Amino acid sequence: MKAGTRTGLVALLLLWSLGPMLWQLYTSLRTPEALLAGAGGLAGGWTLANYGAVLGSDPPFWRYLLNSTVVGALSTLLTLALAIPCAYALSRRGGLLRLLVGGGLLAAAVFPYVLLFLALLQVARQLGLANNLLALCLPYAGLQLPLAVLLLQAAFAELPPELEESALLEGFSLWQRLRWILLPLMGPAVVSTGLLVFLFSWNEFPIALTWISRSELLTLAPAMARIAGSSVYTVPYGAFAAATVLGSVPLLALLLLFQRQIVAGLTQGAIKG
Amino acid sequence: MTHTSDPATATATAKEHTTATSLRLEGLCRRIGGRPILDGINLEVAAGECLALLGPSGCGKSTVLRVIAGLDPCDGGRILLDGRDISQQKPARRRVAMVFQSYALYPHLSVERNLSLGMELRGVDPEQRERELAAVLELLQLSALRRRRPSELSGGQRQRVALARALLRKPQLMLLDEPMSNLDAQLREELRPQLRTILCGGRAPAIYVTHDQQEAMGIADRIAVLQEGRLQQCGTPQELYQHPANLFVAGFIGRPQINLLPQGDGTVVGIRPEHLRAVDEGGLAVRVRSREWHGASQLLLLESAQGPLRWTCDGNQTLGDDLRLGWERRHEHRFEQASGERC
Amino acid sequence: MSALLLMAPALLLLLVVFVWPLLDYAWLSLQAQSVFTGLEAVPVGTLNWQRLLVDGRFWQDAWQTLRFAAVSVALELVAGLAIALLLHQRWRGRGVVRGLALLPWALPTTVMALGWRWIFNDPYGPINGLLQLLGLATLPFLAAPELAWLATVVADVWKTTPFVALLLLAGLQMIPDDLYEAFALEGGTPWQGLWRITLPLLRPYIFIVLLFRLAQALGVFDLIAVLTGGGPASSTESLALYAYLNAMRFLDFGYSATVMLGMFLLLLAGAGGLLLWRRQTDAPQEVRP
Repeated sequence: MKAGTRTGLVALLLLWSLGPMLWQLYTSLRTPEALLAGAGGLAGGWTLANYGAVLGSDPPFWRYLLNSTVVGALSTLLTLALAIPCAYALSRRGGLLRLLVGGGLLAAAVFPYVLLFLALLQVARQLGLANNLLALCLPYAGLQLPLAVLLLQAAFAELPPELEESALLEGFSLWQRLRWILLPLMGPAVVSTGLLVFLFSWNEFPIALTWISRSELLTLAPAMARIAGSSVYTVPYGAFAAATVLGSVPLLALLLLFQRQIVAGLTQGAIKG
Repeated sequence: MTHTSDPATATATAKEHTTATSLRLEGLCRRIGGRPILDGINLEVAAGECLALLGPSGCGKSTVLRVIAGLDPCDGGRILLDGRDISQQKPARRRVAMVFQSYALYPHLSVERNLSLGMELRGVDPEQRERELAAVLELLQLSALRRRRPSELSGGQRQRVALARALLRKPQLMLLDEPMSNLDAQLREELRPQLRTILCGGRAPAIYVTHDQQEAMGIADRIAVLQEGRLQQCGTPQELYQHPANLFVAGFIGRPQINLLPQGDGTVVGIRPEHLRAVDEGGLAVRVRSREWHGASQLLLLESAQGPLRWTCDGNQTLGDDLRLGWERRHEHRFEQASGERC
Repeated sequence: MSALLLMAPALLLLLVVFVWPLLDYAWLSLQAQSVFTGLEAVPVGTLNWQRLLVDGRFWQDAWQTLRFAAVSVALELVAGLAIALLLHQRWRGRGVVRGLALLPWALPTTVMALGWRWIFNDPYGPINGLLQLLGLATLPFLAAPELAWLATVVADVWKTTPFVALLLLAGLQMIPDDLYEAFALEGGTPWQGLWRITLPLLRPYIFIVLLFRLAQALGVFDLIAVLTGGGPASSTESLALYAYLNAMRFLDFGYSATVMLGMFLLLLAGAGGLLLWRRQTDAPQEVRP
């Protein structure tokens, strides 16, 4: 491909991917009057008031960011803690067990989880987990476990068996082999799996919406929906756009930081037969 | 490459690293899906002895090591280390060290971390750890490389790190699975004496798996020849060469390969290529087909009424197309054709 | 240590999160539990299931969901492959562009659905702004059924194409370069290489993409709930949204559970059909890692 053609295609790709985000950025910096005046004029009507409104509301916007970060981080840790031993055991097993568990996990991984929200809500009510921010980790970890186990077991299966055998003969325990030999070599797979779980938890909507009603405990997705729905007739687009921009910055940083690991991790794990 | 190390020091260090034990395999069996991979192997390796397990690929020689180490289950028979049966013990408890064909160095750790991690996790105190590490680095001339990663080492250096790691385990038994097969031919020849010093100097028995008979002869005290999961013969290199127990061993040991001449009476006569002589009359009429020049000698590929023949002869000899060849009776090996056993 | 012991904690959580709810729905679908019963569960036998069979809205939504999923996933596959091919080539700044191109996929669906609602706004959104600049009439994107449906497809393609591209990119990286070199030496053009080498070798990855994306698209919920709310006149409503509305708006939990189970059974049938089709088409060449 010619360099010029390629540059053009890359520009097109970026416009398509980032265009809606840039429009949000533009919206967030405009006064309501300027927005209603149409897309034409760029002169006048610029403001930071939307950001002030979002950050100064009660509870302030950074509270939702914090909630989402806490839930995301804990869900990720819980998922990895459960998935790593399971993936290890699965990768070291052959035969019927692996076929059954693997098939079940694949089915669960592609299951549209929205279907489960009603029953999960009942569980939450029965166990008194409603309005408990940390309890969200349980359904999040459970819903992401199938994919996490599948990705990690593929990564385990790819390590040369002699490495673990050598450690075994040196007298390492299972924990020591995982901690010192296997996991350090699975960096990309662990990072990309963790990132997938984190993104899911950060973005999840129906469960967070139904489990949490107290506004200071809301995570980002339902909080944004609430900002958008706070006026009955028109969405306050300026404030909402400001919230979108603020909520996207951490994700953008994560993506740019870990893009290499995401691609590498999926290369290991994408094919499960 | 410099691999000069004082044999006396090397032996002393190697002795420190190992404890005197002996190994006995009694009827060792391994089956996969009902198919026998190892079929009743009996072997004995004395303390300080190095035994080579030799055989073509797929004969089960690596499986012997893996069963002894506990990486593969033992489906029958016993593994006696100093008279104690270890066949059902967990691998970690067997105090066995293994050098893998791929070396299995931990790629994310430096040379010194590769060597010390095991001691650290076994709870060896830091001072002793450093002392032993320094000694083994010295012994294997790795001191200058201690901060490198495995990917920054040459094949020969990696092999020495793997060997060092095995020595630091202070094993009761040392297992080596084709440790030289990833090195080029010249390096292999250079490393052989050093490896022999270290392995045969220790007090623990060592088993060295290889498919290369020169390597086996160069390193080991005795050689066990394996074929299709069965032990064919075990003895010193000379014994195997001079008195092969069956047709397989006769054909497998010795290069160029032995000439096998079927007789009418259900036996086969084996005669090594270097034992053929040109004679004026009698003997076997042969015709020269082609020849390989080997410097001091040459190998002639001949055709006779009894099939193709190989003859190693003086490099200066000039030859006509048609010859007669004979041999001395004492150089003759005779086997039963049906069973392959020596008569 | 026993393999089952290591798997036990994970499997336990999976039972709670996946199996228990389905059993719960099976029970609930045989109950009436709504405002008419004072939100108490009253056994009614197969009444909910009989209602489901003749519920025009359920079958209408099933058809709409299927159409939405088929069109979106097909577009995503083509666009995703093009993007993956572009991002697989070597050029300066590729890493940054890869990260930026993933952004739509990483953002919360709800958030970007609202963003799209603003973009499709009539008359203040940028698309209608552009139409006005060109002297054309504005389009009521979210108020006309066909346009609203198109809007949901565009938003979904925008949101999930990066994921498709990412998986296909992973697949492209597994194809050794020397295959293309050998093919070029035999006189093959790059275009032929795409059809003769790339696509056949990508097949397992394409299958995985189809599997994940179809399942996700058939369960589409957040996007439509926020972008169109299922409207106008439930013309963009998906099955998952219908089940949600039954529970949370109509407070008819028994029937909502029936709708969810009904959708689950439809998916199961679809998946079974897909597996059968795959077995028939490429049984000879099983791809193992």
